[in-house]
Amino acid sequence: MQTGNVRWMSLLVIVVLLVAGCAAPVAPPAGETAAQQPAAPEGVVTLEFWGGWTGPDANTMQAIVDRYNAEHPNVRVNLSMQAWSPLFDAFIAASSAGSAPDILAMHPQELAQFVHLGLILPLDDIIANSEVIKPENYLENAWEGNKVDGKLYGVPLDLHMHGLFYNKAAFEKAGVPVPPSTPPVNRDEFMEMAKRLTIDANGKSAAEEGFDANNIVQYAINAHTNHHAFFQWWSLYNQLGGQLISEDGKSCAMDLDKAAQAWQFLQDLVYVHKVAPQGQTDYPRDFLDGRTAMLVDGPWRIPQLEQAAAESGFQWGATQYPNIFGGEFAVWGSGHNFTLPSKADPNKQAAAVAFLEWMAANSAEWAKSGQLPAFKAILESEEFQQMEGRAPFIASMPYEKLFPATPKYNEIFASNAPTPMMVMAQRIMLEAADPAAEVKTACEAISAILATP
Amino acid sequence: MRILAPAGFQARTAARKRIHWTPFLFLAPYLFLFVSLRLLPSLIGLTISFTNWSAVGVPQWVGLANYQALFIDPRFRDALTNTVIFTAMAVPALVGLGLAFALFLNQPHQGRGLGRVAVFTPYVIMPTVVGVLWTWILEKDFGLLNVLLGRQIPWLVSPSWAMLGLVLAAVWSMVGYNTVLFLAGLQDIPAELYEAARIDGAGAWRSFWSLTLPLLAPTAFLVLMLTIINTFQVFDLVYVMTSGGPGTSTLTMVQYVYTTAFQFFKFGYGSAVAMVMFVILVIVALIQTRAYRRGLESIY
Repeated sequence: MQTGNVRWMSLLVIVVLLVAGCAAPVAPPAGETAAQQPAAPEGVVTLEFWGGWTGPDANTMQAIVDRYNAEHPNVRVNLSMQAWSPLFDAFIAASSAGSAPDILAMHPQELAQFVHLGLILPLDDIIANSEVIKPENYLENAWEGNKVDGKLYGVPLDLHMHGLFYNKAAFEKAGVPVPPSTPPVNRDEFMEMAKRLTIDANGKSAAEEGFDANNIVQYAINAHTNHHAFFQWWSLYNQLGGQLISEDGKSCAMDLDKAAQAWQFLQDLVYVHKVAPQGQTDYPRDFLDGRTAMLVDGPWRIPQLEQAAAESGFQWGATQYPNIFGGEFAVWGSGHNFTLPSKADPNKQAAAVAFLEWMAANSAEWAKSGQLPAFKAILESEEFQQMEGRAPFIASMPYEKLFPATPKYNEIFASNAPTPMMVMAQRIMLEAADPAAEVKTACEAISAILATP
Repeated sequence: MRILAPAGFQARTAARKRIHWTPFLFLAPYLFLFVSLRLLPSLIGLTISFTNWSAVGVPQWVGLANYQALFIDPRFRDALTNTVIFTAMAVPALVGLGLAFALFLNQPHQGRGLGRVAVFTPYVIMPTVVGVLWTWILEKDFGLLNVLLGRQIPWLVSPSWAMLGLVLAAVWSMVGYNTVLFLAGLQDIPAELYEAARIDGAGAWRSFWSLTLPLLAPTAFLVLMLTIINTFQVFDLVYVMTSGGPGTSTLTMVQYVYTTAFQFFKFGYGSAVAMVMFVILVIVALIQTRAYRRGLESIY
């Protein structure tokens, strides 16, 4: 073979490899949904819309977007979804590459860090002419939760918070009357239910003589070991009137006694009263299978409970999260919102605002996913108020406490990382560590995080 | 075509006149990928580790500040300790079981083909899938392992068991690769040697100790080196199964790099962690290479 030929063939191979390497498209954040969408025809405004819904609510959101696209031939909204954490990774990468989405959904407490990175547009001017996106049309704490340093950066979609679901059959069997949907039960009422609903292998409850704590077949309530553990702590800590971050945002302002007191209550449910299981992982399944009689969870669980009711006759009810410490009621909560990441195309901005206005007016559809609409017209509609199991959550809306907005949100609160909150929660709930020592450690860690620029 | 030039001055002047491009052309695809996907990103990473870059905006030079912070960061210490523990637990199991499976599957018996497939299959399953699978196997109340053991070990929800749970999953998914490497090593040993040993009166144990093991040493070294490097960089399984928890009990180095860079947007600090890890691995590799050379000298 001639040397020349070899050279040319090698060169050809290299060129092919190079072309193949360079031509590989940048992967869109979502698999299926993005792939199915055909290219938009000329003269149509295309909006890239990213969200982190991956459960059944992903289908609900897709259906809503499909309907919008069908009704608006001049606009094409491309919805891409993947779990929140990788979604934000993709968002950061896309932003630094100058190809941020036009609309990004997130949770209000996450806003501050993206605003701090300069990735989200302030909305005050953009929505100035909107007849729909105005403060008076939204629930006040939902609207205010989307402000960072006094400026609006997000349009609220919904709110959610913890509530208390219960298994009607388990209550009936134990002879315990079910709680009313409002107001929240107090500490004594809650402990009474908890003891009578914890049943051992001999059928005796924790309220009876001779109860065998080593052979419990039904616990009264779940005990979170994931981030929901510190969500619950946040509810209780706020019922005691606690604060977490100093006014200047530079240090931890935790009231260590109150913080420890709130944890102690949760820890004692597992280790002292034995009314909640240790090291639990699958709360909804344990609740549906009757291993716990009550479940602390959010309204997003409602569709699953409705399905269980339809398929196997599971009887459930809901009440507000308990008011353990007797002061003004408070409950952990969050929500979803829409943000407009930095982009300067006024055409797309106008189209995005129009889409968000339509979303607000049509958020009743979204409410089927269990979420509570932040748009008053929908929230107050007969149709929504009548939906099953929503009443205690609606009643909790004004008392919902968001985590403080801080640019260091992830470093303090992220659920899939060794953040001070996660470490504190898991040390206390899984290792039975001393709450007083753990809150002190966590507070020091939070101060250290906030002190670094 | 003259590839092998005769040694000496004349050849060298000839080579100077005319460079042989062909070998480079064959190397080019690899070199291109190596430089663009390995070398350049590593150098960029090294540069970023001296800045406070947050993925967007202009990075500011902070000198050694990230490295100084590492020394007093309790999370970094956790990550380093956990990674060493994970490696110390997984490597002996992976190398030992890999060798044991290879010896077993090298014997002429009925289940050989099936056994080879069964041992290697987990290796080709995506780590994320392995992670989800093992999360179920290790489930406390209904997980397969606890059902088989007749106990309720809180594998992934207890800080004292979680690491062992991860090691089990890692060994299951990675041992097939080592087995294949050992098998290849075993099949490279000429059968005549065993025959000669048998004639000299050596039993099975004798030929294993005096023939198989010494002749397998180069393979074993390769396997050991790859296994240490791979386990030290464990990420996917940790990410899927525990996210470093409960608490910090399974936080590993790469998980911490990911966390600081991609979740906390501290790319400078994350890069510094990655650089420290790189240095540790280079040192380990150097020690191993040296020990290997000395070992070879003592064998031959």
